[in-house]
Amino acid sequence: MRPVETNPPPFEMPEQAQRRAPLGQPQETPKDDNHALEELRHLIVAPEREGIAEISSRLDNLERRAEDVSSVVVEAIQMRREHDGDRALADALGPTIEDTLRDSVRKHPQVLADALFPVMGPAIRKSITETLRSMLESFNEALEHSLSLQGIQWRMEALRTGKPFAEVVLMHSLLYRVEEIFLIHKETGLVLNHLTAPAVAAKDADMVAGMLSAIKQFAHDGLNADREELLGKIGMTGFDLWVEDSPHAIIAAVIRGHAPEDFRIRMKEVLEKTEEQFSFAFEDFKGDAGPFRAAEDRLAPLLEAQLREGQERGPKRKPRALIAVSCVVLLGLAAWMTYVTLAVHKWTAFANGLKEHSGIVITSFDKENGRYQIRGFRDPLAEDPAALLAKEGFVARDAEFHLKPFYSMEDSMVLKRAKLLLAPPAGVKLSMKDGKLSADGVASPEWIARLQDRAPWIAGVTDLDITRLQNSEVIALDRTKTAIESIVLVFPAGKAVLEPGEEATLASAQQDIGNLMVQASRANVRVQVELIGHTDSTGLEAAHLPLSKQRADAILSRLTRAGVKPSAFRPRGVGTSQPLHSEDTEEGRRLNRSVTFHVDIEPASPAN
Amino acid sequence: MLTFKMCMLGSFSVGKTSLVRRFVTSIFSEKYQTSIGVKVDKKIVRVQDQDVTLVLWDIYGEDAFQKLQMSYLRGMSGYFMVADGTRHQTVDVALALEQKVTEAMGRIPFVFLLNKCDLVDQWEIEPETEKNAAAHGLGALRTSAKTGEGVDEAFLRLALAMLPK
Repeated sequence: MRPVETNPPPFEMPEQAQRRAPLGQPQETPKDDNHALEELRHLIVAPEREGIAEISSRLDNLERRAEDVSSVVVEAIQMRREHDGDRALADALGPTIEDTLRDSVRKHPQVLADALFPVMGPAIRKSITETLRSMLESFNEALEHSLSLQGIQWRMEALRTGKPFAEVVLMHSLLYRVEEIFLIHKETGLVLNHLTAPAVAAKDADMVAGMLSAIKQFAHDGLNADREELLGKIGMTGFDLWVEDSPHAIIAAVIRGHAPEDFRIRMKEVLEKTEEQFSFAFEDFKGDAGPFRAAEDRLAPLLEAQLREGQERGPKRKPRALIAVSCVVLLGLAAWMTYVTLAVHKWTAFANGLKEHSGIVITSFDKENGRYQIRGFRDPLAEDPAALLAKEGFVARDAEFHLKPFYSMEDSMVLKRAKLLLAPPAGVKLSMKDGKLSADGVASPEWIARLQDRAPWIAGVTDLDITRLQNSEVIALDRTKTAIESIVLVFPAGKAVLEPGEEATLASAQQDIGNLMVQASRANVRVQVELIGHTDSTGLEAAHLPLSKQRADAILSRLTRAGVKPSAFRPRGVGTSQPLHSEDTEEGRRLNRSVTFHVDIEPASPAN
Repeated sequence: MLTFKMCMLGSFSVGKTSLVRRFVTSIFSEKYQTSIGVKVDKKIVRVQDQDVTLVLWDIYGEDAFQKLQMSYLRGMSGYFMVADGTRHQTVDVALALEQKVTEAMGRIPFVFLLNKCDLVDQWEIEPETEKNAAAHGLGALRTSAKTGEGVDEAFLRLALAMLPK
């Protein structure tokens, strides 16, 4: 309802004022009428006018306005809180309250201290008690684990990996732990927010996020373009990477252990809410991650962890059981230590034993990462240490050999090398002493030549001794020479023609001489065969010498006819001067009527 | 701090990876590049009194066997187009690549890098070609992974162009 007035009130609209003008001006209204109208108007609109004046004065008066608001401010705040959650209100009031508190602490610290005293005392006490309790608990746990078999295993693992024992315990007691959370801008792959669990050493989040989106992109493009949610999980040794994405963002969680599937639902929920809250910020993102700092409140609850069941404190065990378990553990420990000591001792003995082996030099012997590392040098011909290891009953993979090859100058190794390179025949024995290689026995001239040729080139051979090495051809030659020189070709008295029965002996002599010539050429020597004619002492003295010469000539001519080279023979008559037998008997005299052989062996002249 | 994604593009073996190896922070091994075609590194540069993080996607060079994965370029704010100054055809590949990128993603700031400028006596690029290259994007720079010449300037020039105006 609008009040009607002659003086347009300040809040009246101009058109209403115009509408009234034609009414008032042409009619001459009497003053009484005017007054009555005024009266009526007053009667009708007075209450409203007063009300409006009241409202107007309230609005103009700061003090009264404050008074009005003060009466509803509490209800208003309550309503707002119920209406759209506490976030917006907290956001609006937060900075002011923070500023106020800061100011207050700066200006009147005592007031705040007094006010907080009743709550701070118990809070501090509670906090200290809580810290002490958790310290005690972890101390208890550590103690317990250090005495249990598992604890010992974990200690071993800590030793092996170089990680602190506490971390190993945590790693095994945890069912899972979310160690890092990334909020990634999907289009650019840039990290918008990154949270890490306490005491987690995180890598550079910018690069990790970039690479993660590259891998996601790669899997998406390269493997299966149809399924958007293809890459939900990337498994790595020790931890998993869980990935969830929405139109604008990716949430990735680095999880150690095995998180339950409902963690993924929580990830999805957080992602949906984040997407909703920051939808404009995502679209306007131009490299400034600042607006996403607020997402921390949403992401932080995802950094959760859960201990393995059974790791929780159970009811107190009976001490008897504990003692029994401790005894078993201690006994086990003692047995284990004995085992370890024995094993170490055995290994050390093995390493020392290796040093005794020719061609193996051990320079160091340590245990690294649970395996024995044996370093040094080994001649390729020395025994294989891995085979020795197996022979001694060790497990081959407990040791690693780092042996560089070298030439050992030990006599036994040089001898091995010489045997390999020279391949001595069965009749030859090689030996080594102080760098001198000696050959003993009989060998072919070819092998002897090879020995002389090769021995100086063998590493470790400084001298060669072949004085006790015989040439097999020379021996054969000697044997033939002896055979030929034992032949006696007998003649009848006074004649230079062989006795009829001697043809077979001549044939055998021819055979031997043929062999002699062949062997001489193989042994590379020159032979000269003397045919010596003899006579007995009967008959004329003067005839003896010519007859003996005739006999030698006769044999030569027979041999020449059989094909031998005459130049190798020298016929000679000695008459009775070199009798073969005493002539007391007829048989002695008969044998003196003969031709015998003498073989001269000379080294071949250089011209041959 | 502002963070931007940038890419390194160019023909096979023009020295992209060695160009950045000495100048960026790396945590990933280079084998990623051959297996998934990209490796992500990081470089912080100071432009106009503020530190700017460049997350650098070093993309495996395009050659006859491997085509450029365009999806790796999504969301980049700038890029280096690298050519080998001692091999003329790498410039042609770079120009063709640039056209492809512009067609797919619109105009994005980039610097044309003519790499291996320490090999002066093997330089194959005609002054005319170099002038042509300089007319593209934010211009051309001669760079050398060996001496480091031009590398910092290239990062600065690109970062400056990426800052919001």
